[in-house]
Parts: sequence; C-alpha cells; structure tokens
Amino acid sequence: MSEEWLEIRARSREDAVAAAVAELGLDSAKQVNVEVVEEPQKGLLGFGGKDGLFRVSKARSSSRRRRRGGGSSSGSSKGGSSGGKGGGKQSRDGSSESQGRRDGNRNGNRSGNRNGDRQQRGSRQDGRSRSGGSGKTKAESSRQAPKPKEPRKEEEADMPDLSEQATVVNDFLVGLLEAFGLEGDVETSVKDDDIIIANVTGEQAEALIGPKGQILQAILELTRTVVQRKTQAGARIRLDIGGYTERRREALRIYAGRLAEQVVEDGEEVMLEPMNPADRKVVHDVVAEIDGVRSYSEGEEPRRSVVISPSPTD
Amino acid sequence: MKGEIVHKVVEYVSGEIVSDRDELSVTIVEEGPDEVVAEVRTAKGDMGRVIGRRGRVAKAIRTVAQAAADEEGLEAGVEFVD
Repeated sequence: MSEEWLEIRARSREDAVAAAVAELGLDSAKQVNVEVVEEPQKGLLGFGGKDGLFRVSKARSSSRRRRRGGGSSSGSSKGGSSGGKGGGKQSRDGSSESQGRRDGNRNGNRSGNRNGDRQQRGSRQDGRSRSGGSGKTKAESSRQAPKPKEPRKEEEADMPDLSEQATVVNDFLVGLLEAFGLEGDVETSVKDDDIIIANVTGEQAEALIGPKGQILQAILELTRTVVQRKTQAGARIRLDIGGYTERRREALRIYAGRLAEQVVEDGEEVMLEPMNPADRKVVHDVVAEIDGVRSYSEGEEPRRSVVISPSPTD
Repeated sequence: MKGEIVHKVVEYVSGEIVSDRDELSVTIVEEGPDEVVAEVRTAKGDMGRVIGRRGRVAKAIRTVAQAAADEEGLEAGVEFVD
C-alpha cells in the first residue's frame, strides 16, 4: 500500500507520462515518477514495433489517490467494518462530507467539485454530457425514432423496453452497494435509445473500481448477466464508478492522439495493445479526427488490437 | 461474523442470476485467519448460469467476492459446488 502506480504500455516515455497524468488526475508531468520496465522497440518493415512498459507512480509530494473505502476506512476497514453495520455506516456517512476536500487534494489545485469537472469532460466527448441531474433513476422511455446504428450481436433481435432494462440495472447496482454496505448514488439513464448508462458516485463506492478497473469490469459483467436473466434482452450498458471510466477514457484519448501524431510524423504503422471494443472505439474516434492517419482493428477477441497507420495522401 | 460482507455480496449477486432462489445457498467457510471461501450451491439448472460461458460470470463473482473481502481485510475465494 506504499504508493500507487500504473503500468502503461506506450510508444514512448512521454506518452506514458501523458496517459498517467490524465489517469491519475494530475496537473502536470512533474507530479509523477517514471520507471522503464521494458524499453519500447521500433518496428521492423514499418509494422508494429513494440510498446515499452512504463511504471508511472505519483510523486511523493502530493496526496495519494486512494482506491478504497471511505475517509476513515482505508486503514481501519480491516476488522473494523465487520464489527457492526451501524458503526461502519456512520463513519461512512461522515466521510462523504470529505469528498470535496479529498478531490481537491487529488486534483492538485484544481478547484470546484468533481461533478462539475466530469460534466465538463462528458460534454467534451461529443456533447453527450452526463446531465444526470438529481433524479435517482432516469430511465426515460422515449423510444420512438431510434437512431440508426450498426447492429450488435446481442441486441439486434428485438429491443424490449430499455427503460425496463435500465430499471433492472439501477436496482441491481443499488442492491449491490447495499450488500457491500457502501454508501453511494446510482443514476441510470438511456442514451440514444440504445445504450443504458449507469453512474455510481460517492466516495465509498470508489472501493468498487479496483486496480485497473477490474472490480468495475466484473460488476459490469454481472450487471449484463442480470439484465439478460431478468429481461431476456441485452442492451449495451456503460458503467462508470466515481468517474473512473471517464478519466481512463480521457487518458486513452490523449494517448491515442499522441500515437496518431507520431504515425503522421514517422509514417510508420503502430499497433496498440489489445483492447475491448469500447476502448477501441475511443481510439478509432480520435484517429478519425486527425489528418494523415487511419485506423483499423486486427486480431481476434479478446486480443483484438487497433492499428494506426498512415493514410494514403493522394 | 467473518466474511459477512463476502457472504452478503455473493448471495446477493448469485440470487440475482439464478432462477430458483430457494435452492441457492451460500456458506462461508473459514480457511485460515484471514481467508474465507464462499461455497455456492444452486439448483441443478442454475449452476451453469452462475458460472456462465467460459466461466465469465464465475470469474466476475470471484472478483466482487474479493472486493467484499477487502472491506474486511480478508482473502476470499468462491467455490461453486455441484
């Protein structure tokens, strides 16, 4: 538990730092230490190359970002919370007040609350801000005029009421928080008539992110399973906990942007590490905005990777 | 009780997935001072559901079980008992 670090595969040290800075919510590259685990290698014959592996940790001076628990629980949760629900709850309630303060620390001198921050980020990504608002469940059922979209395996058949699925998602996540004994808010909404967006917020709920978002991924997997079981349908579901997914996505955007620019410069194709479809889409979207490069995916799931290559310029 | 959160979480998640909740049982077995195992038993037809294709659901349950165990400073495993 000494310090937090991330392992990042990147083409260069700079890319790794940029990604880490965004991931850790820092203000500048000065706030991190970088250790090269594997040196990046240039590709042969214009193909591939191998990303280096960098271990980036937050520099000591600033406060650590915690992964787990409420303000009081990082050390005391061992044993402490098993003692009694009541006691645990209480300290947890108290700790939610400290969220603003902690966020302030974590984000360096960035001020303002994180909701505002995330709102901003959300809207940067093509205007779909998470205007979550106050309602706990916003499972709107405006299903008329669905937008055309490429069909996806699980959902192309028929689309039972999305709001019903959203309610299942919401209930499942609320129940899960309860089972964990963690305080948090769940907001669910339907976007573009085909995606269910679930947002879990609250300092304690961040215990459910996990290293590299592993717990979050597991919860997403379970949420999908539950929706499938209860509604026999599977809309696309996006889950974010404590803004993690969005922070990570932003880091990926920065990383992809730098790689793409490097491809423009070097004229050499680059293959990224395998990613899930959602992350690949983020990369494709970034590359599409940059002249002189194009991207495609290669390989089989779950080890399918994006390749960024120079596009013919005639 | 040791593993209380693990129990709650595994029982809750499994309960949301199985069809026959009455036949679901989750038992916490202490494996050591800091280690528990949640034994999951289900109706016959439900075992496949909690395990999932290629064990995906089982893996996810194990991950959240460990997350629950973290809350208590424990290590947790999950066994699906046929």
